[in-house]
Amino acid sequence: MDFSLSDEQLELQKLARQILLDQTGNERLREIEKEEDRFDEKLWRDLAEAGLLGIGIAEAHGGMDLGFESLCLLIEEIGASVAPVPIVPVLVPTALAIQRFGSEEQARRFLPGVASGETLLTTALIESGNEEFRMPTTKAGRVGAGWILNGSKTCVPFAHRAERVLLAAEMDGGVGVFLLDPHVAGVELRRQQATAGEPQFEVILTDAEIAPDDLLAGPESAASVLGWIEQRSMVAHCAQALGVAECATRMTAQYTSEREQFGVKIATFQAVAQRAADCYVDTQCLRVVTQQAISLLDAERDASEAVAIAKIWAGDVVHRVSHAAQHLHGGIGVDRDYPLFRYCLWAKQLELTQGSSSRLLSGLGERIVAEFRASD
Amino acid sequence: MRIEFTPRQRTLQKELRAYFEQLMTPELRYELSQGTREGGGPEFRKALRQIGADGWISLGWPEALGGQGATPMEQYIFTEEVMRTGFPYPFLTTDAIGPVLAEHGDEEIKRTVLDGILRGEIVIAIGYTEPSAGTDLASLTTRADRDGDDWVINGQKTFTSLADFSDYVWLAARTDPKSKKHRGLSMFLVPSDAEGYSISPIWTLGVRTNATFYDDVRVPAKNLIGGEGNGWGLITGQLNRERLSLVNHGSADMLYREVASWAGATLLPDGSRVIDAHWVQHNLARARVGLEALRLLCWKQAWQMTEGTLQMADASVAKVYGTEFFIELYRLLLEILGQAGTLKQDSPGAILQGKLEFRYRVGSILTFGGGTNEVQRDIVAAAGLGMPRGR
Ligand SMILES: Cc1cc2nc3c(=O)[nH]c(=O)nc-3n(C[C@H](O)[C@H](O)[C@H](O)COP(=O)(O)OP(=O)(O)OC[C@H]3O[C@@H](n4cnc5c(N)ncnc54)[C@H](O)[C@@H]3O)c2cc1C
Repeated sequence: MDFSLSDEQLELQKLARQILLDQTGNERLREIEKEEDRFDEKLWRDLAEAGLLGIGIAEAHGGMDLGFESLCLLIEEIGASVAPVPIVPVLVPTALAIQRFGSEEQARRFLPGVASGETLLTTALIESGNEEFRMPTTKAGRVGAGWILNGSKTCVPFAHRAERVLLAAEMDGGVGVFLLDPHVAGVELRRQQATAGEPQFEVILTDAEIAPDDLLAGPESAASVLGWIEQRSMVAHCAQALGVAECATRMTAQYTSEREQFGVKIATFQAVAQRAADCYVDTQCLRVVTQQAISLLDAERDASEAVAIAKIWAGDVVHRVSHAAQHLHGGIGVDRDYPLFRYCLWAKQLELTQGSSSRLLSGLGERIVAEFRASD
Repeated sequence: MRIEFTPRQRTLQKELRAYFEQLMTPELRYELSQGTREGGGPEFRKALRQIGADGWISLGWPEALGGQGATPMEQYIFTEEVMRTGFPYPFLTTDAIGPVLAEHGDEEIKRTVLDGILRGEIVIAIGYTEPSAGTDLASLTTRADRDGDDWVINGQKTFTSLADFSDYVWLAARTDPKSKKHRGLSMFLVPSDAEGYSISPIWTLGVRTNATFYDDVRVPAKNLIGGEGNGWGLITGQLNRERLSLVNHGSADMLYREVASWAGATLLPDGSRVIDAHWVQHNLARARVGLEALRLLCWKQAWQMTEGTLQMADASVAKVYGTEFFIELYRLLLEILGQAGTLKQDSPGAILQGKLEFRYRVGSILTFGGGTNEVQRDIVAAAGLGMPRGR
């Protein structure tokens, strides 16, 4: 049993905090949010220069090879700073999957660019009306040595800037995992306005071509590849949610310790202190279940149950903390001049990304049936 | 990070599980089901002596005090395995008071009381709470006055659990009436056969406890433990140790498993099983999700204690979360049993020996006992979040 971080990880955490603290002040975020894309390219380059985009990437491909657990520390800081950078979509479901399952050639083609900050990648996790990543309705048909895709994906972050979109499609003999170039003919990108302001796109595929060397996994391995990707992406979102919840709680503690009404700091009202304490308790619960899932995945163990549990906690906690934080702040909490509102937006974004609590509870219930139901 | 038991910890867990399995004989189970759930019957005494003879009682005591120096993590595993069986192990006697006596008791106390604890022959009740001193414990008024080589104790305690069969009361009394509150309190070991000591039962919603009365009870000076005026430190130290065993995940996990197995086995008239209903699956999943966080909070705390890095707020987090989750858990599980869940043990038609009917009745004690949850949340807000305290 060991909950500790290594010295190397603590250094990394410090470095990430430093860079993010400098560049995610209220002014800076406001400036970025005036632009079309909520994306801070300078910050992205700085993270790359510090080596942070390569935390999970092998040294041979320009990374630091520090593993998933370390990568999640960076992701938690991204959550805590609501930084306008696509850390999770680029680094987790896409880059990690290419590294783990791609050919040597694919890894060489994409990963050095990811580590250096030049290449963006993304993953299409859902389709409209279908949140089952592993059961796509998009179709892939064989054409010569390559494929053509028909169908659509939705809520794809940064699709317009990505060199490839990882997606699943039904093909002969099962499901395949492809790396779509979103800039080829037959791909239409429709910009979507999502609640937290992240640029997202509907991706409409009409005979969109996939080159022969852009297949990541065929039907023989797609199920396990997609499961692997899904688990890591879910846990990355939990780590991000943890950062959001923790920071919103701290902001609330700080604000209520300064704000006065009736001649006293409002934090000295026991009702206020107790509700803030509940946010702290919630956040600690989210922390341990997330840490467990990270630890299991880092050891390449099957963690599907631990992952579902962590995401259920994430959904519940960000919801409760977000509303408690707004409530305890009063009007300033919803004022867009004060930074709390971004945490509330990301809270809802993350709560509903990759499975709401109720949906995941239902899936967990099925697992429990499998464990406890007597056979007829 | 590596959030799972080491091979050594897993071996210990397996060993303990097998050990307690054989300890819980049908006779003992029967005795515990017959109104003596808190222990005190002959089978309970026999089993506790066995545990003592097998050397388990000093597992977590420091080696310097003659213990085995198990880490808090190992001690936690022990607690969890005990809790799974439902054996009313006297943790406060063995793990809170025992080590204090080993540290502060004189030779005679060590030879009699301490050895008795280690042999599993002695159980000690806790006499802190008074009718007008509950959460504000430091305002207690039971007093002890020096008279020659003795102390003479006068006052009344309430909710002195286990006093109906305990051998001693670990009593907090005021030795200096002039100093207020925390200062001026001392701890005494009062033998239950002392003259002037009497008890009367208090029947609560769940368990039996007692009022205890001290009418010129005379104890020798050596029965004041840990030094005159040092009572408060001993009390708070003990409450901190207690908190983690209050919210141990073992017994809650057993209940969840028993209800899930019951729901998986029980047929309904239409041929489906109870567990086939979606809302039942939902309740079980909610229970599972809550239990997982509890287990991990407890593990983390035991690990922090082992490393010596436990923060003030962490113990309170687990206490608040665990005690309130238990109440929610009993509800989720009772809903699955339905109205038959209200049937008491030994009633025709009772499910799982009426265990949940009993558990929901005792569940509320923990939210206000062991440091009421409002005070725990105050600690979290102040120590965990740096917020200023009111009043
Ligand atoms: C079954 C049972 C067994 C027990 N066993 C023992 C035992 O063996 N030995 C022993 O010494 N005692 C024992 N107790 C007593 C127990 O420790 C007390 O009940 C507990 O300390 C609370 O004290 P109280 O009941 O006087 O409640 P009070 O102190 O009157 O508190 C009642 C409620 O008031 C509120 N409150 C109090 N203080 C504050 C505050 N500062 N801020 C906000 N709200 C507050 C809280 O909601 C609290 O729950 C037992 C109790 C029961 C019911």
